[in-house]
Amino acid sequence: MALLFRSLQTLCFLLLISLVAAEHTSNWAVLVSTSRFWFNYRHLANVLSLYRTVKRLGIPDSQIILMLPDDMACNPRNAFPGTVYSNADRAVDLYGDNIEVDYRGYEVTVENFIRLLTDRLDADVPRSKRLGSDAGSNVLVYMTGHGGDQFLKFQDSEEIGAWDLADAFGQMWEKKRYHELLFMIDTCQANTMYTHFYSPNIVATGSSELDQSSYSHHADNDVGVAVIDRWTYYVLEFLETQVTSANSKLNLGDLFDSYDESKIHSQPGVRWDLFPGGEPEGRLRTVVDFFGNVQNVEVENSNSTEPGSLKEDLAEIARLVEKWRQRDEEYSAILSSHNNTEASSLHLTAKKTVGSTKMTDDNSWGKRLVGLSVVGACTAVWVAGSILGRKV
Amino acid sequence: MTDKHGDQASPQTLATHADTSNVKKVPPPETPEAIQTRFRVIAAFWAVIIFLGFPIWWKTTSIYRAHLPIQEMVDWADSKACRPVFPLEIHLATPGLQSTEAQHLLRTTQHTLDDLNEFAAHHLRLKLADDHTGEEDVTEDKADTALTVRLLPQEDIAVPRSEIHTDTAQLDVFYPPSQVPAPSSSNPPLSAFIAEELQRLYSEEKATIAHILSGNTAGLDSTSPQVAESISRRLRRSMKYAETYHLSFSLFTPGAEPSSWDIEAAVHEYLSPLLEAFAPISNFTVDTQVQLYATFSPTAPLPEYDETEAAWNLKKEDLSAFINAAEWPLNPSIGNGPTINFILYVPSPSQSPLIVKENRASSWIIPQWGGVFLLNPDLSPKSKSNPAHLSQESLRPAFMTFSHQLLTLLGTPSTPASLPLRLHTLIRMRAAALLLSASSTMGSLARLTESLPSIPIPATVAASVSTTLSHLAATCSNLRDGRFSAALASARIAEAEAERSFFEKSMVGQVYFPDEHKVAVYLPLLGPIGVPLVVGLVKELKRIVASRKARRQAA
Repeated sequence: MALLFRSLQTLCFLLLISLVAAEHTSNWAVLVSTSRFWFNYRHLANVLSLYRTVKRLGIPDSQIILMLPDDMACNPRNAFPGTVYSNADRAVDLYGDNIEVDYRGYEVTVENFIRLLTDRLDADVPRSKRLGSDAGSNVLVYMTGHGGDQFLKFQDSEEIGAWDLADAFGQMWEKKRYHELLFMIDTCQANTMYTHFYSPNIVATGSSELDQSSYSHHADNDVGVAVIDRWTYYVLEFLETQVTSANSKLNLGDLFDSYDESKIHSQPGVRWDLFPGGEPEGRLRTVVDFFGNVQNVEVENSNSTEPGSLKEDLAEIARLVEKWRQRDEEYSAILSSHNNTEASSLHLTAKKTVGSTKMTDDNSWGKRLVGLSVVGACTAVWVAGSILGRKV
Repeated sequence: MTDKHGDQASPQTLATHADTSNVKKVPPPETPEAIQTRFRVIAAFWAVIIFLGFPIWWKTTSIYRAHLPIQEMVDWADSKACRPVFPLEIHLATPGLQSTEAQHLLRTTQHTLDDLNEFAAHHLRLKLADDHTGEEDVTEDKADTALTVRLLPQEDIAVPRSEIHTDTAQLDVFYPPSQVPAPSSSNPPLSAFIAEELQRLYSEEKATIAHILSGNTAGLDSTSPQVAESISRRLRRSMKYAETYHLSFSLFTPGAEPSSWDIEAAVHEYLSPLLEAFAPISNFTVDTQVQLYATFSPTAPLPEYDETEAAWNLKKEDLSAFINAAEWPLNPSIGNGPTINFILYVPSPSQSPLIVKENRASSWIIPQWGGVFLLNPDLSPKSKSNPAHLSQESLRPAFMTFSHQLLTLLGTPSTPASLPLRLHTLIRMRAAALLLSASSTMGSLARLTESLPSIPIPATVAASVSTTLSHLAATCSNLRDGRFSAALASARIAEAEAERSFFEKSMVGQVYFPDEHKVAVYLPLLGPIGVPLVVGLVKELKRIVASRKARRQAA
């Protein structure tokens, strides 16, 4: 009996551990549009709709990296200046008055995107432009643009290959920069982009198979261009109508089951094999695991007296404060006794102003010498050449 | 039709006539000088290609990869290079005992302690406090004293009792003088008591360090699931270690008042002592803000009025939506280092007092992010409005709570009940965690180097790696000798250098080109140059072969 109880206990403990292991502590979203120009209005609208959704479900701006290569809201062709809509009914202005674009215009490059994922950025890049995820973070990566077989075009000049993307995720995994990652991509031949992934804990989904186009959903005649892509439209429809609060229990399985090929006009794909436990396990992850923001708030019980509880700590901190105050008084007493002698010297040091300093400290004379000798050598060669040439 | 046919026929015949006449006319034979000149020209071109072009191409397209001590890095990551141990030195002060008695007590207590201990990496070493004051006083490699145990005789008690000092690392053990162990007794009750006390004092630390070292899977066998769960929960909610933390204190209120607070005095008074105590572990910067008219987000569930409690209630499950992340300006600060946010929320007079429904608490922690405190000030009786200014005294409960939340967020263990001891424990925990994290970064870098042959590895990375490895070794030996502050200091450097080497800016693997891309790049460039060169070379070789044959036949 005791043995049975014991084994049950260990079983419970193991279960507890596995539950703990499955938990994440923060959420990050990387939302990327990769195409410029007015006729690609829909790609920016795709991304902004996703941005609005993750923000609605609770991910703060500081944990969303938004990359927009163009500014549709301020485009001179925009009949509705300052706004971006993803639907012809123009019910929701996606641009709104509270949007934080982290990378805009020509900052949206393959290099910056890979640097963002792998955090190989200059020390002076602000935190708002960095992906600060760690081993406990669930990361949502959404990309849209024009793509082909195993590449996605960035702006009009370069492209990211499926290999580069896979390596970037591989490095993120190596450095424990994500706990689980949901990769979504809406572009032509999108499913080819995740074929090379090799790092674990990734669920990938795309809008269309190899040799298939990904179509736009509908155009707004007043805006004059298509406003959203089909796949994104139906993903958003699911998110907006079914996942109404951050406490929603709908899971990824429900999201992927909602794909309807007759509506999307292409075959969306899902890749489960990198996820531990494969499809059955992956389907159980809730949508808000990736689109929402986890906050396991811990309310402090002000009445409990166990060690480390609020009350105990408060008493300790109060004692510390008291001790500090005493020390402060002693110190000020010492200061006042030395006041006459030290005050003057203190004032003197405080008056010292900071002047301009030279930015570089390498010796300019050495550089001048090098330059002079180079010029001298060139002149000598020229003179020698002209003399020799005259002789011939 | 036929006409056209005839027209076409006549030029054809003309052409054949012309051809036959041309065949007869052989071009003059090349002079040997001309042949030699052509040979020289071709040889010169190929010499330039082979001796100049090829090396330049090789040099400019090859990727610089500094040599890294891969094997050593992998050893660290697999924890083959170092087995971290935590010998804690505990001083035993025995003012009321003879030297021999004290020695005996020390020996038996140490023996009992060793018997009790089940986690070999973490053990307690007892030392008499005054037995080496004369001999080795100024040695710099002296181990940190983790705790001083003072044995004090007390007449009016029957069994020993202990008392921990809350503001110094000291444990007083009071014992009845009758219990002084006789030199013959092998297991006196007093030493059993001391050993038991010490074991209890350090049990949580032991479990935590075992948990960290085992890679967050399982701790010691003896730790109960509750303790293991509380440890892993604490590690999960605490911030990742950083050299510098930014503390951001924000006052949010939905109305116009209170619009000022005595924040500077409050921070100085209530928070500075704690930050000072943390100085050996991390640095802190503090900034503050006041935000008026800060409303809840439109989707957030609103508080409900509870008549029996006469208070507005927030449900516990709704607390995660309390912060209006979209509109409250809680952006991370510029500069490196994570931000810990503390929010002081003063509800509007119409919703005051505001509390959490389940346990009437007024504060909560958001793991790895910060803390929230609901301050319900006394409304002014006439106008039913919030006070315009929050005095230092009214901020006291809030800042005490923030201090507690800071302790929790920085991962301070909950036992023992003495803050200096808890900070010492934190130093050891952080040193262990940093040692592991820097080692695993080394392993990641080694694997990365091997799996991505196209990534450049600049010399600075190699330098950082060697700094990391040397500081890791220093950390390991400092830990072994019980110098935990020094171990933390070198672990900090190791971690910083490891991060720098992994996140080196120029190591961006954006150089994967499929083979067809390479063809597409090189063909338009090399095709037009390459074809005449190769054809010329082939022709010249043929000529040389033919002339050799001719010469051999002639001979």
